[in-house]
Amino acid sequence: MSILDTAKQIAAPQDRPAETALVAAAFVWIGQAALIATVVARGVSGALEPKFVGGAAAALLALGLLRAGLERWASARLTDLAERHVGALRDAIIEQELTRRASAAPASLASLVSEKLEMLRPAILRYGPARKRATVVPLVLLVIAFSQSWAAGAILLVAGPLIPVFSALVGMAALQASARQLDQMSTIGALLSERVGALIDIRLLGAEATVLKDFHEAADDLRSRTMAVLRIAFLTSTALELFAALGVAMMAVYVGFSLLGQLQFGTYGAPLTVWSGVFLLLLAPEFFAPLRDLSAAWHDRAAALAVANEVVAWNEADAEHVLGGQGDLTSPHVQASISIKDLGLRVGESVIRYPDVAVDSGQALAISGGSGAGKTTLLSALAGLIPAHAGEIRVAGAPLAQNNAETWRKRLGWMPQSPHFMKASVLANVKLAAPQASAEQVDAALKSAGILEQIRRLPHGANEMLGETGAGLSGGEARRLTLARALLAGADVLLVDEPTADLDEETAAAVRQTLLDLRAQGKLLVIATHDPALMAACDLQISPMPKEAC
Amino acid sequence: MTSLKRVLGLCLNSAKGAMWRGGALSVLVLLAGVGLLALSGWFIAAAATAGLAGTGLVFDVFKPSAGVRALALGRTASRYGERLLTHDATLKALVTLRLRLLQGLMAQPLRRLERARAAAALNRMIADVDALDGVTLRLFLPAVAGGLTLVVSVLGLALFVGWGLAAWVGALYGLGSLAIGWRYGPEALPAARRAERALQAVRARSNDAFAARADLTVYNAIEGQIALIGRASKALGQARKRRDSVERAAQFWATVVVQTTVAGAVLFGFLSVSNGDLSTPLATLGVLASLALSETVMPLARGISEFGRIADSARRVMDDIPENQIDRSQKLRAKPMIVPPLDLRRIRIEPLVETLSLTVEAGEMVLLAGPSGVGKTTVLNVIAGLLPANGGEVCIGGHPLHDYSEEDFRGRLGYLPQRATVMDGTLMDSLRLGSADLSETEAWEVLEAVQLTRFAQERNGLQTRLGSRGSALSGGERRRVALARLIAGRPPVILLDEPTEGLDEATATAVLSGIRKYLPKSSILISSHRFCDRALADRVITLR
Repeated sequence: MSILDTAKQIAAPQDRPAETALVAAAFVWIGQAALIATVVARGVSGALEPKFVGGAAAALLALGLLRAGLERWASARLTDLAERHVGALRDAIIEQELTRRASAAPASLASLVSEKLEMLRPAILRYGPARKRATVVPLVLLVIAFSQSWAAGAILLVAGPLIPVFSALVGMAALQASARQLDQMSTIGALLSERVGALIDIRLLGAEATVLKDFHEAADDLRSRTMAVLRIAFLTSTALELFAALGVAMMAVYVGFSLLGQLQFGTYGAPLTVWSGVFLLLLAPEFFAPLRDLSAAWHDRAAALAVANEVVAWNEADAEHVLGGQGDLTSPHVQASISIKDLGLRVGESVIRYPDVAVDSGQALAISGGSGAGKTTLLSALAGLIPAHAGEIRVAGAPLAQNNAETWRKRLGWMPQSPHFMKASVLANVKLAAPQASAEQVDAALKSAGILEQIRRLPHGANEMLGETGAGLSGGEARRLTLARALLAGADVLLVDEPTADLDEETAAAVRQTLLDLRAQGKLLVIATHDPALMAACDLQISPMPKEAC
Repeated sequence: MTSLKRVLGLCLNSAKGAMWRGGALSVLVLLAGVGLLALSGWFIAAAATAGLAGTGLVFDVFKPSAGVRALALGRTASRYGERLLTHDATLKALVTLRLRLLQGLMAQPLRRLERARAAAALNRMIADVDALDGVTLRLFLPAVAGGLTLVVSVLGLALFVGWGLAAWVGALYGLGSLAIGWRYGPEALPAARRAERALQAVRARSNDAFAARADLTVYNAIEGQIALIGRASKALGQARKRRDSVERAAQFWATVVVQTTVAGAVLFGFLSVSNGDLSTPLATLGVLASLALSETVMPLARGISEFGRIADSARRVMDDIPENQIDRSQKLRAKPMIVPPLDLRRIRIEPLVETLSLTVEAGEMVLLAGPSGVGKTTVLNVIAGLLPANGGEVCIGGHPLHDYSEEDFRGRLGYLPQRATVMDGTLMDSLRLGSADLSETEAWEVLEAVQLTRFAQERNGLQTRLGSRGSALSGGERRRVALARLIAGRPPVILLDEPTEGLDEATATAVLSGIRKYLPKSSILISSHRFCDRALADRVITLR
């Protein structure tokens, strides 16, 4: 079973030794309470030796240090576990994701493997141990309390279980209240985000004052609605507080009255001893502490589960995988060629079929058709990124398949329609496919792509940082940069997606010319386009056939 | 640290009363907790002593037991009040903080605004501000309330039990907390900063990998990118480890301080008992009080690790909030408009535009043409005052740009950038951005000009909600809403960058004619490569 399978596993992996150590640390208190009770009891009876006090204090300290040590050791183990767990999840998600063909929302997936996975840590560090303590410690203390006095046990028994019951009731009320609040922009962060995202527009409209006023009103309104929810939610912690405080108070009063002799029930025969009384009083707060910790960690748990569910949903999403593998079927000496026969490609629930065609080196094939007709899909299939649903694709004389797709891709140059540039320099982006290329080679590639001059004009030249969408470059420049990248890769086959879309006529003409020059140099070009001039310049032209259901 | 102080100052100032009342209640909560345990201990020990001495029947049981009950209920009530007050105060403070941030950001140069708009930067900024609620709730209030509680409790111990024990408890808890903070606080900040940097690297690199996967696959560069993510991930792990180990050490030493204090309290208190200097009930009170006071020390460790993260966020947020509020009061007197409304005199923009002179008369529409990347958008940015020119002069209404106050200038010039953003709110809210006192009749006229009348009628009229970032609209509708709010202000000079993108030809033509009809006296400069836009222009200037 993979670690990505169930939300529970993802949310809170467990470490038994650490949990056991933390429970043991809580039990150390029983020994300490017994020591203090003994000292007090002897003090009351007047039989307290200074030597005994010294011994008891030393033992108390020793136990205390044992507790501190156990907690430190356990939390180190849990930190390691969290580190390993989050790291393994991140690696697994990234690795698996990158064998998939495409992702609907790269940015949100990136935030899943960064910020969101980090939210699992608090659950591992706090919730897991807290749950363990809450299930074991109160129960054991209850048994001990009953062994001393059934009345004392009864006090804890009544106060303890009311806490979860009351918390659940309040929790439900809070849930309803917050659901009512969720109608519009639900968080104050979202309100701000909306405005910060439109800063330039606000500035240009000179609408600063209007926006500040609106924001202030909306934020204040949201604040009062949030407080309405919090007023209910805080009742949970108040209930905890109430029962814990009342539990201690009832215990103190019961014990006090018993010791005075004014209460004479609750024990098994003999009256309550001073030792038992003090011991019981000291145990009472520790009975409630784990329940409090658990309720404090509840939020961590909920956040972790939400993240875990997101991971599971991602894992279960249907995904198509790219072809991989190296074979010797397409040695560089074989002339590049592409042919397709009876090809059908699957897109979601339908199949797109293509007419048979064969292209050789020095030729250009145009794929035409409206948007969404299946032009880009065919390019992806030719790159081995998606498998054929029917028919076959032959490249350099051999069928493109699992065992040779990677080798085939080494010969490919690739110009996507909307390029995503790495958050790195222009140089690093161009050298993506050929990290070893020299400066001269890079310049030559930039020159043939017709963009050398523009790059030199950038404030930092080729060292200019590109943003996630190629900030600082115009659409035409970005397109040419991907061309330079393909050229530097030494590709002899170029797969080009809409090279002239959204460009003005002059730039489009220049890009067209560059492509035709490449054909003259003997490259094989496959171009998805609806630019009539470009189509006309190509040697061959096909269109995807209408979609059919599969 | 200075930014943390500034955040704290802002927070304390914006909701002073509630914050102090909340703080006072936090002290009350802690004191009631100490009192409850201390009084219970005393009560039991005293009752036992009285019971043994046979004086149980004359022992006054009602005062102490009533006190125990009062403390128990009082603690609960104060806790509820404290949580409400401090949260309300903090939420108020954060509203102020966000207002100031928004104000600060609005006054910044264009390049920073561009950066702030990127989704990643935006998310981070929002998360940073969200983290700042910890300044009061997790750092300031617990520290101050803990300190005060300690002082009051030590005074109480001195009064009832004796100076020796009080001094011991005060010294260990007080100095111990300070020592732990002193030792581990400074380490928490760099650890948190490194962790944040590494986390951002993981996010950016995985985003690159996910978004450019086809490129990476085709170029066999997947393995390299995975290795790059792995390096960032490893750095993140190390930074986290460091942070966690600081927290763990602080936790450990806080526990050691508590345990030592309690053991010492038993030793000193009961040695005095065995000497006959102190009664058992009072010694018990001392021990239990020292035990309950651990509640003031234990949040320290958590606070230290939060401190790093919060201080790091505070630094980034406060970078964007100017020290002094921007003074917009000194308005220059509005200048009279002189024709021509828009006049470019030999402007030079390196390296794109050698020299450009252009006059757009009132009521005229001029179209800027030229291949992409030639600098059409840059020219518009220079006219709008967003970028400096390297030479020449831009005159609006006869006055050079630098003679205008920003407010006066924005009223004169309307600019629709290529990527205009529509905000959430109603259609009317959006139009009011252009003109704060727009009437409903005028609003409908504006909508008619940009062909949005039918859209609005089919929805909820002027109250139609636009959704976050205009998500309830199609691309073309968003573009038209941006145009509508621009012309609502009736600026005499209008710059439009690709105004009809995403509109079909018929609508595009209708919208541009509608704008000209609505503002017959405005000078309009358009950058566009659409043929239908070109046909409506009075003149076409081609940039080379």
